[in-house]
Amino acid sequence: MMTKTVRTLSLCLAFAALPAFAAEMAGTLAAPSSFASISDPAARSAAYFTEAAKVMMHPRCVNCHPAGDRPSQGEGAMSRLHQPPVTRGADGFGSVAMRCASCHQKANFDPGHMPGHEHWHLAPLSMAWQGKTASQICAQVKDPARNGNRNLAQIVEHMSKDTLVGWAWAPGVGRQPAPGTQAELGALLEAWVQTGAACPAS
Amino acid sequence: MTTLKLTINGKAYGPTEVRDDLSMNDYLREYLGLTGTKFGCGAAQCLSCAVIVDEADGTSRTTPTCVIPAAFFNGKTVRTIEGHAKAGELTELQKAFVTHFSFQCGYCTAGFVNEGQVLLERLAKAPVSRADLDKTIQESLNGHLCRCTGYVKYHEAVRDVILADAKRYLSNPA
Amino acid sequence: MHITRREFIKTVTASGIVLGVARLSTGAEPTFRARETLPGAVGWNPSAVGKGRIDGLAKVTGAKLYASDFRAADMPGWPEKTSHALLLRTPDATHVYAGLDLGALVGSMRPVAVVTAADVARVNLRLPDFFADAPLFCAVGKTPHYLGQAVALLIFDTFDAYDQARVALREKSPLKFGRETGPVVAKPYGSNRFTRIAGADPNGPDVFSPLLAGWAAPTSYKKAEIPVWAPAMKAGNANAQATYYGERIRAELAAANPDVLVLDRTFTTQSVDPMFLEPEGGIAWYDPKARMLELVVGVQSPAEAAESVAHLLGAAKGGFKPASINTYCAYLGGGFGGRDHTPMPLYIALAAMFYPGHAVRLAHDRFQQFQAGIKRHSFKMRSVVGFDKSTGKIRAMASDQVLDGGGMANFSINVADVAAGATCGIYDVPRIDVTTIALHSRGVTAGSMRGYGTLQTMTALEVLIDEAATALKIDPIELRRRNALKTGGRTNFGNTYVGPVRTPEVLDKLATHPIWRDRAAEKSRAPAGTLIGTGVACVTKDYGTGADCTQTRITIGPDGRISIDSDVVEMGTAVGTALANRAAMSLGAVATEVAVARIDAYDVLGLVKSIDPYIITQQQQDAAARNPRWVPETSSVSSASVGAHIGTHGANEAARIIFRFGLWPAALDLWGIAASDARAKQWQSAKWADGKLTFGSRPPLSVADLAAKAHARKGVTGAVVHGFNRWEWSSATFTVDGEAYSSEIDALAVRHGDGKFVRLTRRNVKFPPATNNRFSTSYTSLCGTVVRVEIDRATGNLRIAKAYTVIECGTPLVPEVVIGQMQGGFAMGVGYTLLENLPLYEDGPGNGKWNLGQYVVARASDVPVGTLETEILPPVTPTDAPKGMAEVNMIPIVPALLSAIYDATGKRFESLPVTTAMLKGAIA
Repeated sequence: MMTKTVRTLSLCLAFAALPAFAAEMAGTLAAPSSFASISDPAARSAAYFTEAAKVMMHPRCVNCHPAGDRPSQGEGAMSRLHQPPVTRGADGFGSVAMRCASCHQKANFDPGHMPGHEHWHLAPLSMAWQGKTASQICAQVKDPARNGNRNLAQIVEHMSKDTLVGWAWAPGVGRQPAPGTQAELGALLEAWVQTGAACPAS
Repeated sequence: MTTLKLTINGKAYGPTEVRDDLSMNDYLREYLGLTGTKFGCGAAQCLSCAVIVDEADGTSRTTPTCVIPAAFFNGKTVRTIEGHAKAGELTELQKAFVTHFSFQCGYCTAGFVNEGQVLLERLAKAPVSRADLDKTIQESLNGHLCRCTGYVKYHEAVRDVILADAKRYLSNPA
Repeated sequence: MHITRREFIKTVTASGIVLGVARLSTGAEPTFRARETLPGAVGWNPSAVGKGRIDGLAKVTGAKLYASDFRAADMPGWPEKTSHALLLRTPDATHVYAGLDLGALVGSMRPVAVVTAADVARVNLRLPDFFADAPLFCAVGKTPHYLGQAVALLIFDTFDAYDQARVALREKSPLKFGRETGPVVAKPYGSNRFTRIAGADPNGPDVFSPLLAGWAAPTSYKKAEIPVWAPAMKAGNANAQATYYGERIRAELAAANPDVLVLDRTFTTQSVDPMFLEPEGGIAWYDPKARMLELVVGVQSPAEAAESVAHLLGAAKGGFKPASINTYCAYLGGGFGGRDHTPMPLYIALAAMFYPGHAVRLAHDRFQQFQAGIKRHSFKMRSVVGFDKSTGKIRAMASDQVLDGGGMANFSINVADVAAGATCGIYDVPRIDVTTIALHSRGVTAGSMRGYGTLQTMTALEVLIDEAATALKIDPIELRRRNALKTGGRTNFGNTYVGPVRTPEVLDKLATHPIWRDRAAEKSRAPAGTLIGTGVACVTKDYGTGADCTQTRITIGPDGRISIDSDVVEMGTAVGTALANRAAMSLGAVATEVAVARIDAYDVLGLVKSIDPYIITQQQQDAAARNPRWVPETSSVSSASVGAHIGTHGANEAARIIFRFGLWPAALDLWGIAASDARAKQWQSAKWADGKLTFGSRPPLSVADLAAKAHARKGVTGAVVHGFNRWEWSSATFTVDGEAYSSEIDALAVRHGDGKFVRLTRRNVKFPPATNNRFSTSYTSLCGTVVRVEIDRATGNLRIAKAYTVIECGTPLVPEVVIGQMQGGFAMGVGYTLLENLPLYEDGPGNGKWNLGQYVVARASDVPVGTLETEILPPVTPTDAPKGMAEVNMIPIVPALLSAIYDATGKRFESLPVTTAMLKGAIA
């Protein structure tokens, strides 16, 4: 009977429409209150960031925070380098001949599975998150030399309010959203800052 | 729904009520019967569907039409393959593609014509050096897929158009 | 509907349906025919001076040419509005299909018709034999036969309804499934064994061969996939003898002979998609009052498409059988084999029949094209080759080949047989045993694709040869030289090739090219972090199918304008320009009106056919040939690189007849040379120069003057011909204007002046012998490639630094296009080797989720655009016929790349593709 259940479950997973599946499995973000049991403030601080890093290390973010000049796309088994081959160009908005905005318009176009946002572009190399650990990302995020010269309050403001960041939770059909919500991310980062913005060890 | 008004090949179209989920490719091909712009993949991978958008600042760029709604072209000025030749007279680029035997089945050709034309217009405003020419052509055309030709004769044609008018397109004409 | 001045040219099918193409005269709207007859009346005609293709202007200006361009409003006489249809396909082939839930299609998204298996049965539609192994639609309660099989056809009245519905259905599949059954099991599509043993004297007869004995087949199958060969018997039938000799060859290879190096290697190739840029599609309209069905399709097999649709509807009930069917065949946005014998025209016809009175368009988007379009067969090959250690000569070879044919048989057994015929490549192999089997699977159907199985077998062979060269310490090109089949030598099927076998010349070109010559120096100069390697390969591929036809109609007007109709199809190969150029050799000028893919302009010949030309016996053929209108086949497909040699043959013959009996007598008249004068017979000495006919010291005559005179004196101004080729042309004698004229055609009609075409009775027809069906191929073209690669150690990224490809293809009719095809074939070969891969089953395109991006084809950045060199060897004699080359040109780059990768990394890959990740892993 166990096998039958497993088989039925796999059937459901195989044949459910992708968005529903994606929403179920996209993941959640724990609220800051969930970490109350960690008494050491530094440890709790790091834990807030580790939770927040689930967003930053999600494909919706990492795809455009590449370690090189070419974004990635997709997720999981379908993850790949961006096709067609595009490059960051001089300003992060694409090469002269192929600007990001040539294809990525001001909003998603679901019939074409094309994601979009008014300011679609690559994060600067200093903000590369591809292949990095939560610890490394934390150090980067805190460093004004690498984070666009922001202080901690500005980081929280950026992550919780910026609409391009917000796109990660409304990425359009065919893409799994980042975990939780942008507001929940903001709450975690706020809590992180309040507790001294400690970085996790790994 | 969006009330769509735009200019295509110098002619005003609309106002037309279009669904917000109607692609520009379908607007051109199904609504207007302008089938010179092709449909190849529907995923912005092949650029058979690319048209030229002429921006207000005087620059032009190509854009795919398969993954962008017609509504986003509202108020824009667009050139398609049908608009290049005037009164039966082909552009230098079109003539070059013909005389160089650049295409075979021809399905990708509209995209290449649009892209090549945008490149020529860009170089006329901001010439490049002869040493950078091949790389410039490559970067310009590389988004366009062709399954028949291996690309060589497309690149040769664009290069020869540029070299034939080096003063206009190159910063260091010989 | 207002229909003006149509001429219907009719053929009646076995089901009593009138088949033809309506020749619509020009009204206000350009007709389909006018759009597709090129160049037509244009201001600038570069093809007239060899500076462009006849379709150049049309294609560079975005003219309506492709089936996917046409809507109802473009077709004079059709309804104004286009309705749209959508095929629903299954992403599952291991569960019972339980029907559709179309609940999401509410309001304006509702279809006007849903066509399913039940409807097909209800109106008694019949599948043609070629497609009969799986139903058009999977029936409710059955497990789908294969991934991507159609389950229903939805028809929508308006485009908007269709567009919104297809998005809604793509996001949430409407297909319901029941219990798991596992995949449908079906018998193998076919299996054969090809065994040859040469006699001791290479010039003497073979001891045994498929040509001598007939093709061997298994007597049964074990476990639905393992051929059981007849018990070995030296004096038995073909099957038993093949086993007997085949086992002897394998025993020889298995014996531990210290003088022989035996390499036993497997090689696996992947499924790929032809990825022609125009997805399949078309439009159709059934007029229930006139009972006329009209279709616009884009296919490589126009006669087959028309006949298949007629067969489908030929016994239909309830108003579903048309009285006439007109098939308009458009220019193709690429083909590569994938538009040959596909079921798409059948579904296009259904879309019209189930919404009568409306024009309905049915087209794949790219997801659907990946899901259902014909694929290249994935091969598993095991090759065992024995080389004499001292001489490097191949002594014996055994090969076992397994093809995954996907869900429908299509051309699988034929691909397997052609692949088997290429197993010996360019080499003379005195003892060779090849078994091949094509299996059914639940994958997407595999069928015809550029190379047709020879790409797979010759890749495996060439990399094995390269490995042998290394092991034997013989230069790779020298090893090929020693083993090259000579002119007059026999293939592994036991037949010879027609004409000279130019392997030594091609090998010389490769050996002396700087890329090859400088390979050691370049390798030693590799910068730090880069591995450099060079590879070479040489292959030969057949052109022709063994039952090819050419049908052509040429007329010359009193103003000298030449018009050509032909049944060959244009898919990018410039065959229309080739037709015009070939006819121009006799007529002095390039045609201004060329219509291709025309299956109907030859009805005056009154051709009839009967038995399948591939299985007909000599006796049957001799008896049938007594009917002066009988031919083994009337029209064939544009595939197998036939365009140049086969497709333009009819134009050549028709043009020669018009010259001989029209323009030449007109010239004699204009020059004042009497018919009794000895010079009147010297037409061979007349030459065209700059559009004028020259003859000794006579004043040159223009085509226009000659044509005017030919018309005035009522000479021959038009010819309709048919030819058949089974590795040689049929021939016959005709009496033309009182003279006996023999030619490589089997049917002829001529017109005099502006009169009607009149059929001439043939005499002494000779059809190619039925035993030619035992050949692998008689016609072949060679191609060789040498390539230098640079591999980045850290990333595994491979860059092709330089490459050179050389080909011999007789007389190229449009040299610039031959070069373009070589470049395109190179790019496709690069994609096949390094980039393209389709999983075979549930993760593959049958699941409906594949598109470009996931599937990667070569871009310009993957091809050495600036440094790719191509060379065409000049023909052996100035009058050599053109030879087909469109497939062979994509083959040698594949094994050459693999050998270059070995040279650079020391790793021999045994499967395709070889990806960046695999290279990185090999270097690490």
